[in-house]
Amino acid sequence: MTQTPAGQTCPACAAVMPAGTLFCEDCGASLGTPAPIDPGARPVSLQGALPADGPNVIDEAAPISAATRPVPAAQATAPVPGRIPCRSCDGSVGPDGYCEQCGTKAPSERDHFREAPAPWVAGVCDRGIRHTRNEDAMALAASAVAEERAVLVVLDGVSSSLDSDVASLAGARAARDHLRSPLPQGMGTPESRLAAVTKVFADTVAVTNAAVIAATAPDSPNPASATFVVAVLERGLVSYANVGDSRAYWLPDTGPGRQLSEDDSVAQQMIAAGISRQQAETSPQAHAITKWLGRDARDLAPRVGQLEVAGPGWLMVCSDGLWNYASEPESLQEQIRVSGATEPAALALALTDFANAQGGIDNITVTLARVSDPAGGHPDDTTAPAVVPQTVPFQAAPSQAAPPQEETHG
Amino acid sequence: MAEFTAAVYQNEFLPDGGTDVNAIVTVTCAGAGTAGQSGGGAAGEIIIVDTSGSMGPQTMAAAKQAAQAALAEILDGTWFAVIAGSDRAMLAYPQVSSGPGLAQMDARTRGEAHAAIGRFVGSGGTAIGTWLDLAGTLFASVPQVTQKHAILLTDGENREQPGALDAAILRATGAFQCDCRGAGTDWKVEEVRRISQALLGTVDIIPEPAQMRAQFEEMMRSSMARGVSDAQLRVWAPQGGQVLFVRQVSPTVEDLTDRRVVVNALTGGYPTGAWADESRDYHVAIRVAAKAIGQEQLAARVQVALGEDVVAQALVKATWSSNSELTARIDQQVAHYTGQTELASMIQEGLAAKAAGDAATATTKLGRAVQLAAETGNGEATSKLRKVVDIDDEREGTVRLKAAVQKADEMALDTASTKTTRIKK
Repeated sequence: MTQTPAGQTCPACAAVMPAGTLFCEDCGASLGTPAPIDPGARPVSLQGALPADGPNVIDEAAPISAATRPVPAAQATAPVPGRIPCRSCDGSVGPDGYCEQCGTKAPSERDHFREAPAPWVAGVCDRGIRHTRNEDAMALAASAVAEERAVLVVLDGVSSSLDSDVASLAGARAARDHLRSPLPQGMGTPESRLAAVTKVFADTVAVTNAAVIAATAPDSPNPASATFVVAVLERGLVSYANVGDSRAYWLPDTGPGRQLSEDDSVAQQMIAAGISRQQAETSPQAHAITKWLGRDARDLAPRVGQLEVAGPGWLMVCSDGLWNYASEPESLQEQIRVSGATEPAALALALTDFANAQGGIDNITVTLARVSDPAGGHPDDTTAPAVVPQTVPFQAAPSQAAPPQEETHG
Repeated sequence: MAEFTAAVYQNEFLPDGGTDVNAIVTVTCAGAGTAGQSGGGAAGEIIIVDTSGSMGPQTMAAAKQAAQAALAEILDGTWFAVIAGSDRAMLAYPQVSSGPGLAQMDARTRGEAHAAIGRFVGSGGTAIGTWLDLAGTLFASVPQVTQKHAILLTDGENREQPGALDAAILRATGAFQCDCRGAGTDWKVEEVRRISQALLGTVDIIPEPAQMRAQFEEMMRSSMARGVSDAQLRVWAPQGGQVLFVRQVSPTVEDLTDRRVVVNALTGGYPTGAWADESRDYHVAIRVAAKAIGQEQLAARVQVALGEDVVAQALVKATWSSNSELTARIDQQVAHYTGQTELASMIQEGLAAKAAGDAATATTKLGRAVQLAAETGNGEATSKLRKVVDIDDEREGTVRLKAAVQKADEMALDTASTKTTRIKK
């Protein structure tokens, strides 16, 4: 929405009118002083703005969520430094943080943030509709060169605990920063490579867990806890790890997709016991997780695996706010087709909107890396056989000392 | 420089499907200064005294003294005039027939005006519409006067053709403010209240001539303390929303809803007149489209504007919640003023029914008024009601109409019906 030389844009409804028009012919608003338009506008920061992010470690990849323009809520007459579009209508967000046309509250920086460290990697982390806080968090990193290296981290803070929103964000960033270096290759066999990667991911979980605990008050009766999932893409090889029920998927443009991670949840135990996924995931206990990060965590061993991807597609890491509405890989592939989006930033937003349109019952996080040519960075491995979604040893049953934690959708 | 602040009292939580948001907005002005001294333009005062034949010698003498005492309160430099009103309006001071119809106050003009008032003689009828029209003309003759205030004293019913007074009120609305006083008991509260409400002023009864001087001094002193010449209350409601009503609820109940002027497509402006260092409460009710549980929505921006400058803003919010503990609460301020507003109309309707000879309706309405006055702690209303009804049970609102009631007590109850009390915030 830029101002064209031949016309002017209505500040109220964004309709384009011929130059010299005094009042908008669509909505009647005065066109006397059209508001300056900022094409890079983004949600206004209102409260609890994100804590300062550490230096990003891969290339110049800087999350766009780091700095916004803070607007003092009290100053009614302060000039608006740029047009901040409302997410619900064509209006603009006022200096008080609400849309000047429809009154919808603009999300705070923590309620809705986006990252796009490179054009081929992006994510959206959104409060959803039903929750009053966004306890999901994400942290992304990517190489400037497409498909060379990307790190996608998602944590879903458990809302039955205090400070989960702070803890999840601290944890996500700690995990991303821990994975700044390329993963080890092992001794040349897939098995040894996986073992080496498993060791790295176990360390990542420990670092993340320390960050989550550090964000919890030492005397908190209800310490923060969170799920954990990470996927690292390095030239067609996806390495992933998870604790809890946030997920990683590989969703190729053609052919069947697959869920890479395996939930640590009561639902997953039910599925393992032979109950249908649909039935298990809609059961009352579906969202009770059996493993988590936090001070009261009993078992931090992640499920780890690797997958060599062949054709073009999407690597997606998300929270249950999305997969609640599209759990099967084919459902997600269908939503990708429906959205028509081809860029990761647009697709992440489209999938977030889809989850909100379905009811937005939980916080929603969608992170994506676009893989166009997995062989591109991989000249000597043109055949790229699909390898092993393989898990390292872990306790299949929840520890008896720690009963399943009911995740009330953080 | 005057500073305005605005604070909101409301329960922002609505149940699933809820649409109506009520809020009390307290607007406070500090550092107002004095009339005509704030650089926003000059102040003007007109004293209008009924000089009809019905004014008895005692009342006339008291009215002259009172008007002269009011002159003494007008600050030097203020533009002023004195009107003698009967079946037409006479410009008693300054004695001019063209050019500026207001004189600037100083020792000399004060003395001349004092003498002019001393020459008042009662004769003729009562045509209040013509008095208002002359005041409007005089104010308009001095363009630099931006803060315009009049004091009007009458002792009788208006005798103009039906509709003439209302037409004059309409012409005066927005042109100047007017505080009205009725002397004795031969004037009509309803009639004079129409003037004072439209012209953003007060109305009261002066039953005894001896009380007149103090009342006039007080009115003029209050007016001179208003250093902010004109403030506008603005209410923004979201697209698709509806402003159900806007009421001033303190210090008096005044329904502003129909006085809305368009500021822009979503914002209405309501005149509030001049401000001293004071605070006023407004009850704003907005209807918005229901949103999903957990959603938050701005229901209204309530602003104070001086000219085009918005100097204070308060936000009225709506948050939909499934927690009935949150949604069932009624804000204490909203409940209090809802009761006070009903109290005002119960008193007025009860007295009207009594005047019409409908004792049953009068008993019911005044009974409810007694109950509301007790519930909302309005002691002044209770004591005034006691002079009109015998109270059997305050909590139940059981009353009997008194057999013999002083007319002045009834009128005092009527004029005071819109006065409200505040509760702790």
